[in-house]
Amino acid sequence: MLSSFLIAVIAMCGLATFLALLMVIADLTVGNYGEVKITINDETEMTVEGGKPLLSTLMGEKLFIPSACGGRGSCGFCKVKVVSDIGDYVATELPWITEEEKKENIRLSCQIKVKKDLAIRIPEELFNVKEYRTRVERIRDLTYDIKEVTLKLIDPSEIKFRAGQYIQFQTPEYELSSESVYRAYSCSSVPSRKDIVELEIRLVPNGICTTYVFEHIKEGDEVTINGPYGEFFLRDTDAEIVFIAGGSGMAPIKSILLDMAEKGIDRKATYFFGARTTRDLFLLDEMRELEKRLPRFSFVPALSAPAEEDKWSGESGLITEVLDRHLKDGNHLEAYLCGSPGMIDASVEVLTKKGLQEELIFYDKFA
Amino acid sequence: MKQTVQMDRIQEKMQPGVYTRDGFLGTDRRKLIDILIEDDEAVKRMDLTHRQIADRMIGLRDAGMRGLGEFINVEPHYEIRVISVRGKLPCPFGDPGIFPKTNTVVRNTKLDREVTFTDMHIHMVGSHGFYEGKGSPFRLEPAELAEVLDIEPIRE
Repeated sequence: MLSSFLIAVIAMCGLATFLALLMVIADLTVGNYGEVKITINDETEMTVEGGKPLLSTLMGEKLFIPSACGGRGSCGFCKVKVVSDIGDYVATELPWITEEEKKENIRLSCQIKVKKDLAIRIPEELFNVKEYRTRVERIRDLTYDIKEVTLKLIDPSEIKFRAGQYIQFQTPEYELSSESVYRAYSCSSVPSRKDIVELEIRLVPNGICTTYVFEHIKEGDEVTINGPYGEFFLRDTDAEIVFIAGGSGMAPIKSILLDMAEKGIDRKATYFFGARTTRDLFLLDEMRELEKRLPRFSFVPALSAPAEEDKWSGESGLITEVLDRHLKDGNHLEAYLCGSPGMIDASVEVLTKKGLQEELIFYDKFA
Repeated sequence: MKQTVQMDRIQEKMQPGVYTRDGFLGTDRRKLIDILIEDDEAVKRMDLTHRQIADRMIGLRDAGMRGLGEFINVEPHYEIRVISVRGKLPCPFGDPGIFPKTNTVVRNTKLDREVTFTDMHIHMVGSHGFYEGKGSPFRLEPAELAEVLDIEPIRE
């Protein structure tokens, strides 16, 4: 009886060992894709270790595709055009891909694995995106829920970006997050200051990155960023400009205005900035200073719910109402908007009603 | 009630790292069916329905959207802010579509308390009676929701 029991146990152990061996062999052979060649934009070739998602493979080669969710397929940012055969779409890609994009074989780079030679197309400007080690030089409160964070670049020591573009800020593992994640923030500093990147970060309830910035980082800490990214920058025309922003949407507009002042771009420009009460207003002195440096620029802060103690004598109402009152004819205008999707959608509606052509409305939506 | 295989699959999608970094279950180690049953009972005890709670959330979110990303006063005693962060999420229950990461913060100034919920919450509460697991940073307590959002039973 005992011997049959022992034989059964030994047989089971033997079978389990055999299966484990099979899995190891399978992992080393079937799962081992060896070296794979990725061709980018028909020009650049890189040889990489196969088997990993395209996004992280490219990141390993210091080629950064924008991604806000760390490769989990929940932001839909990391799209690339794949021009070689890579198989069917996986289910996690489909919510993000339009019918038009399917025809173009646009794929989510975090969801497709590099298993064989691959050819892709990406915007040329992504070749300029780099990873930077930085040190937190200064943190200052702009309002009760917006902080300005100044990062001093360590390695590389300089960054080249266009006013209005954004970077991705890496939040390391901490109590709210079991792994590092990236979040996008617009640069508020002037591009000529190549040694620093300044950000304006607004606290988001339970936000992984904003909570980290508000409760954990301190001056002197090291932070990793990558960038620059984005198509939100001042177009090279002579058209009169309307800027519209709210909250931390101030950041890219401030960068553009500082750049204009430095370069002597003397275009007529009006900046409508929406806030609730005076507690939510910030950088007023900086804006007044810019009005002096840019003679045809005016700053119009507007409060949607000024408190009695604010003794506010400026513009009141939602930013769209103020815009509606101020703009007569939008035909000759170019508009640059940064803020919440609700604010942008409502502002675009007002602008187009005023005759502004939709293709001349540029925006950076927090969505 | 016994959890179905389909529910097992849904619960897998709710684990950290599948759809969201922290998942939907927090420190709750119970079966999904037990989480749903307990919250369902809590809602029934208040003489409410999940749909009613979700509809109230929708109403307040829509009212808050007029603030264009800033807090706005909403009658009779709320301050509401609707903010969007980059990204969208699919529903772990497998429903079609993706939900924007829109946070609605409702401050009940009469009670001096606030709750924050997302568009995904509205969908999961209304369609599935799911308020996330205990210990999840985004867990909503049905009783707290009902209190802060002033949701009253509908009397026939």
